[in-house]
Amino acid sequence: MEYGTSRDDVGIAIRSAFLRKSSKQKFSLFALIFLSIFFLFLEAIDWKIVNQIRSLTKDTIYRGSLMVSYPTKGFSEIISLGNEHINLYEKYNQLKEDNKKLKSDISRNKFLELENSQLRKLIDEKSTSSINDKFARVMLDIQSPYLNSFIINVGGNQSIKNGMAVLHGKNFIGRIVDVNYFSSRVLLVSDLNSKIAVLVEPSGSHAILSGHGEQLPTLEYLSKSLDIKEGDKIYTSGKEGIFSPGIPIGEVKIENKIVKTSLFSDLKQVSFVKIRVEDKTK
Amino acid sequence: MAGTFKNIRIKVFQSLPLIILFYISFKGSAVVDFNLFSINISYILVYYWVLRKPDILGYGYIFLAGIIIDVVFGFPLGVNALSLLIVASVAAYIRVVTVRITLLNDWISFIPALLIANFIFFISLYFTDFPIDYLYLFKNSAFTFIFYPFLWIFFSLISKLIEL
Repeated sequence: MEYGTSRDDVGIAIRSAFLRKSSKQKFSLFALIFLSIFFLFLEAIDWKIVNQIRSLTKDTIYRGSLMVSYPTKGFSEIISLGNEHINLYEKYNQLKEDNKKLKSDISRNKFLELENSQLRKLIDEKSTSSINDKFARVMLDIQSPYLNSFIINVGGNQSIKNGMAVLHGKNFIGRIVDVNYFSSRVLLVSDLNSKIAVLVEPSGSHAILSGHGEQLPTLEYLSKSLDIKEGDKIYTSGKEGIFSPGIPIGEVKIENKIVKTSLFSDLKQVSFVKIRVEDKTK
Repeated sequence: MAGTFKNIRIKVFQSLPLIILFYISFKGSAVVDFNLFSINISYILVYYWVLRKPDILGYGYIFLAGIIIDVVFGFPLGVNALSLLIVASVAAYIRVVTVRITLLNDWISFIPALLIANFIFFISLYFTDFPIDYLYLFKNSAFTFIFYPFLWIFFSLISKLIEL
């Protein structure tokens, strides 16, 4: 008898918690849980109307997120401006040295450019693709623990498509994974889900650059017979047929016998990016 | 005049949990990531307010905040909304079956809320083919639990200001 009463109590408590709406609640928990599950099922559906609504929702939330981040952005800008003023003299000396070094490098680069163009003529290289880069601003840089990604301010309106390579300067930093009408998500090479086919030079070894949610992605499936040294350069290999080959990514850094990649671009300092739109029909 | 001022003050403090929830959702700070650990602030916030003052944090707002977190963090739509609603469900059930309000009671009853919500989170991501670091998820749950009393004190302060 007592058992029955306690079971009734549990039933009443569950009904009260899940189904009954209090005076100020407009929805019951049960209805909203059901709606969330319905949303999850919608993720698997690829209908045009559903995609459009999803894209519109995401665009709206990204704009809201951008607006919310303005005050903190402004505050951190003021702090960094103050820090820059404090370190002005130190920076001036550093820039003087950098300038000296760059001047000596320019003459060397000019020679290499000339040599490169002569070699290209020699092998009669024919361009198989015309490259048309699109520029975008990083709207939101939310380094989520689950997803290392950026939101950029171009999307379907600028013919951006999933899988396109995203560059910071000349360096590869990620690829487009989600396109809305006015915005897109860039999955960075450091993300857990990022796997890129790469080439390690000068050994010519092929490998997979694999992100782990940390700053330094690792090189996997490296041939053991090839000698990989610290400082070797890493480029996209283009083997997967998505990205063009030869886009610089970073250089080899060996830590505890694990071959890692020190990226050429600091992912925390990226404000503008280039999206490589390639017309392979030409 | 004094009555009007008091009403405004109460309204402001009553809206504070909702403002914090939407702020952290839009800002992408629902999960605060430190170098060694991370804390899911949205779970604690939803659990505390649904348990203590359910009229302040409507379930519809919790659902909306979950959708915003999903979009901002790049999860499939509905994953965080569902896990936040699960936290709210456990809190609503605990509210019905308990009488005494103590930090210890709240803290212990937060364990099933956290476990069920993260299990649902894990299952939803598993079925939507979204790979995540499971060790990270485990550490996140553990530190969210450890951090609960700190936010409990902070929210209790807000709660007292509403009642004043």
